[in-house]
Amino acid sequence: MIPDTLTRSLAEICGPGGVIVDEDRLLVYESDALTAYRHRPGAVVLPRTTAEVQGAVTAIARHGLPIVPRGAGTGLSGGAVALDGAVVVGTARMNRILEIDAANRRAVLQPGVINAELSAAARPHGLYYAPDPSSQTACTIGGNVAENSGGPHCLKYGVTSRYVTGLTVVLPDGSVAKLGGRGREAPGYDLVGLFVGSEGCFGIATEIEVGLLPLPEGVRTLLGIFDRIEDAGRAVSDIVSAGLLPAAMEIIDGPTIRAVEDSVFAAGYPTDAEAALVIEFDGLEAGLDGETARAAEFCRRAGAREVRRARDEAERMALWKGRKKAFGAMGRIAPDLLVQDATVPRTTLPAILKGISEIGKRYDLVVANVFHAGDGNLHPNILFDRRDEDELERVERASKEIMQLCVDSGGTITGEHGVGLDKKHHMPLIYGAAELDAMWGVRRVFDPSGVMNPGKVLPEETAPGWPGHGEGRGAAEGEGAGVAEPAVAAMAPP
Amino acid sequence: MSTATAPAAVAQLLPGNRVLTGAAASEWSGGRAVEAVLFPTDTDEVRALVREANETGTDLLPAGNGSWLDAGGWTGVRGGVVVSTARLDTLFHYEPADLTLTAGAGLGWRKLAAVLEPNGQWLPWDAPGAAAGTLGGAVACGGSGPLSARYGAIRDNVLGLEVVTGDGRLLRIGGRVVKNVAGYDLVRLFTGSRGSLGVITRVSVRLFPRPEADMTMVFEGGVERGLEVARAVRTTSLPVAAAEMDIRGGGASGRETRVVVRVLGSREEAEEVCSRLAAEIGAAPAGTMRGGESDVFHRRRSVWEERSPVVVRLAALPDQVAVTMRWAREVARRTRGEIAADVLGGVVRVKGSPADDGTAELAAVLMRARRDVEAVGGTMTLSRAPQAVAATAGWAGGGGGALVQRIKSLFDPGSVLLSRCP
Ligand SMILES: Cc1cc2nc3c(=O)[nH]c(=O)nc-3n(C[C@H](O)[C@H](O)[C@H](O)COP(=O)(O)OP(=O)(O)OC[C@H]3O[C@@H](n4cnc5c(N)ncnc54)[C@H](O)[C@@H]3O)c2cc1C
Ligand SMILES: Cc1cc2nc3c(=O)[nH]c(=O)nc-3n(C[C@H](O)[C@H](O)[C@H](O)COP(=O)(O)OP(=O)(O)OC[C@H]3O[C@@H](n4cnc5c(N)ncnc54)[C@H](O)[C@@H]3O)c2cc1C
Repeated sequence: MIPDTLTRSLAEICGPGGVIVDEDRLLVYESDALTAYRHRPGAVVLPRTTAEVQGAVTAIARHGLPIVPRGAGTGLSGGAVALDGAVVVGTARMNRILEIDAANRRAVLQPGVINAELSAAARPHGLYYAPDPSSQTACTIGGNVAENSGGPHCLKYGVTSRYVTGLTVVLPDGSVAKLGGRGREAPGYDLVGLFVGSEGCFGIATEIEVGLLPLPEGVRTLLGIFDRIEDAGRAVSDIVSAGLLPAAMEIIDGPTIRAVEDSVFAAGYPTDAEAALVIEFDGLEAGLDGETARAAEFCRRAGAREVRRARDEAERMALWKGRKKAFGAMGRIAPDLLVQDATVPRTTLPAILKGISEIGKRYDLVVANVFHAGDGNLHPNILFDRRDEDELERVERASKEIMQLCVDSGGTITGEHGVGLDKKHHMPLIYGAAELDAMWGVRRVFDPSGVMNPGKVLPEETAPGWPGHGEGRGAAEGEGAGVAEPAVAAMAPP
Repeated sequence: MSTATAPAAVAQLLPGNRVLTGAAASEWSGGRAVEAVLFPTDTDEVRALVREANETGTDLLPAGNGSWLDAGGWTGVRGGVVVSTARLDTLFHYEPADLTLTAGAGLGWRKLAAVLEPNGQWLPWDAPGAAAGTLGGAVACGGSGPLSARYGAIRDNVLGLEVVTGDGRLLRIGGRVVKNVAGYDLVRLFTGSRGSLGVITRVSVRLFPRPEADMTMVFEGGVERGLEVARAVRTTSLPVAAAEMDIRGGGASGRETRVVVRVLGSREEAEEVCSRLAAEIGAAPAGTMRGGESDVFHRRRSVWEERSPVVVRLAALPDQVAVTMRWAREVARRTRGEIAADVLGGVVRVKGSPADDGTAELAAVLMRARRDVEAVGGTMTLSRAPQAVAATAGWAGGGGGALVQRIKSLFDPGSVLLSRCP
């Protein structure tokens, strides 16, 4: 609960329907898509404009409460979870596309616009927005900016940060900063690039300028079926080494295939296969068939037992279906799901996949892999039941081993889902004290008093003199005092 | 801030054969009056130099090959001890199948290209001047060239950095995988920081396969015709890799403009793009270059400015080309200069020489140009200009806000690095 005076001033600032304090309605905002972390916010405020965000941020800060920005809550690292009664500033009512500037292939929008809606609005102009997280029908562009989200087609087109050219940001002190904008030529430090991926810790993005691309003329989609997942990994590596640049390369492993085929989402993948590899090329019609044929040949040479080619849009959708519905299907076979997100050098994929499967066997766990293979971005999902304490412990040990394996191969702990609450204690696996210290320093540049999304991204014990260590205030303090960290982060079926 | 003996204290940390002083130092720095040029060979040495500079209050100027130290007015015009990373040129890691590479910041552009070529790969960074310098210098300048429409700018392709900050801390940020969102993106902050936050000592980058076909079509005509062709290229949905418009001479003869369109892809695709684009434009190109010829042509263009005493950059959204081009032509007229415009990116560059008696007039024109370009949301910067012109017109518009100042003092609290915030 927040003080009545704050409720009243927020209601004044944001108008009717702009403040939620009702306990039942706050339930919805307890977690993001990583449901193991649940904390009820003190209140939710839903501003409509940059000025209302400014007003809300100023009012909340005046009451000494922490602030948590929130888009659609599809995040997979606990980033939008409100610790210590923080007030959530949600962007649900900031969902207008302000401008589609077809001549310059750019758009300006409010942060609450759903990713897929931007592409839909750009379509009549022959344009689209390239980064396509698998959650694109639900997640917001503001969330994408905060997480620097990727997606299947980022292999060819790059992730969110490549497309964000300008931002209007409300800083934690209530001031407004305009970063970049009107194209990609702004001089000075790349503050736009620095803000992208800041996971709601630097401020709230209230207006976003992005670049759009012309729709590709043609698409070709292949499905390779493999008896060994390492072979699928090798096909990916060979295709890239040969100089081909598919738009997407996604691997769905045996356990995932079986989960999908057992579910209402059955896509017709053979259930005795150990991997399915979806490959897509796009671009000009001319040349697409040649590239597709070469990729098919690489699959066969790597040991594919079968290579299917979509002949029309319906078949293309069918080939993709197993990939797109994988999460939903897995949710149906186990009550809990742990999603990891490490990225490894592409050439290490075959060895890493083998290593992950061995770890799974050693701990007697089902580890299902469905991931952005072309980028080396793995999503090992561990299926379990949290009520089984022994299993829970094995899950925790296995997930640590998998992460260590990926880091040891030259990889990183998160490729697109962000650190959030979930992986902050793994940051020391890849960064030393100096780097963490520098990150704290940059965070303080934007948020000197530590009110924005505290408790996320950086482990608090690495913060020199951060408020909360000692005399401090706000969330960092309460957090040290007792946010129960679940042993394992579990995700409900999305 | 520096005392007479302070530079010597820093310089003595290296053996004499890796220190230039006096005229040799100035010559190496392109005529800039510097106190010494130092050539450390590893990161530890860089760190020791930076720490000593902090102790003694010596001004430092990070550099690569020193190919453009006088540019942009970022560093003032004189003084400082140059720390060149040119000898930090080890190739640490190159895995062709991963399309990633890690090397010392001083790795020269030519050496890099020679390593990549046998594997059919390249680093498609065509920011102005990059090809004359070092890998670290290109990252520090963080520019973009015409190919960035296809491949992204330099900042989109740096995966990780090792830097020694202005106060001597060693940071290893980012990594060598192509997707990485662990922690805040300090790599993007240091990319384009132009030596104002630290010395970049090691760089990891993302590489690309060289496309099978490299084709360049050249369309010629008068200025009006050039603008028409450029418009068609800008609005086509065909996958064009880069497009530039050149204007030579005063623009009165009717043949002084050419639009250069580069197409990359599979052979079949590239041929198809060229023929369809010619149809959309409604004219056959005056010529088409293929393969090596096209590549060499663009490599030469990437050092287009050379040593021109005046280099001006006008940038705005591509459809504001009327404004940027009008002023570019005005500047070119007064400097007997030439224009190269990035059609897809909206950047118009002018190079020339000021008339002996015309600096005041040139400065006045530049100021009016800036005002008009900024009115449509663009920017005008001087990459190089005589001091008298720059002093009046200003190198760049605007200035860093509070965030920029706070970031500078976070990494360089003693203001040891001479470079101002870009
Ligand atoms: C089934 C499923 C599939 C997914 N697939 C992918 C995928 O392919 N690729 C991928 O990258 N991710 C994927 N995700 C993760 C998630 O969808 C992305 O991280 C997405 O960008 C989150 O957007 P959101 O609007 O839901 O943000 P939220 O979850 O609400 O918030 C995420 C973070 O952003 C911050 N934030 C939100 N809005 C703003 C703002 N306006 N200003 C500042 N900070 C803000 C929040 O504080 C929080 O830290 C998937 C998730 C699910 C459930
Ligand atoms: C403002 C500006 C505008 C430019 N415009 C043009 C142009 O229009 N045309 C053109 O041909 N060239 C231009 N250049 C030059 C070109 O982009 C770079 O010089 C080249 O990419 C790198 O050259 P170099 O390695 O020799 O670096 P140098 O010329 O030695 O240094 C260039 C800049 O980068 C910094 N720097 C270099 N190495 C490092 C390092 N390891 N760590 C930290 N900082 C470093 C320096 O402090 C300096 O600011 C410009 C450069 C600058 C700074």
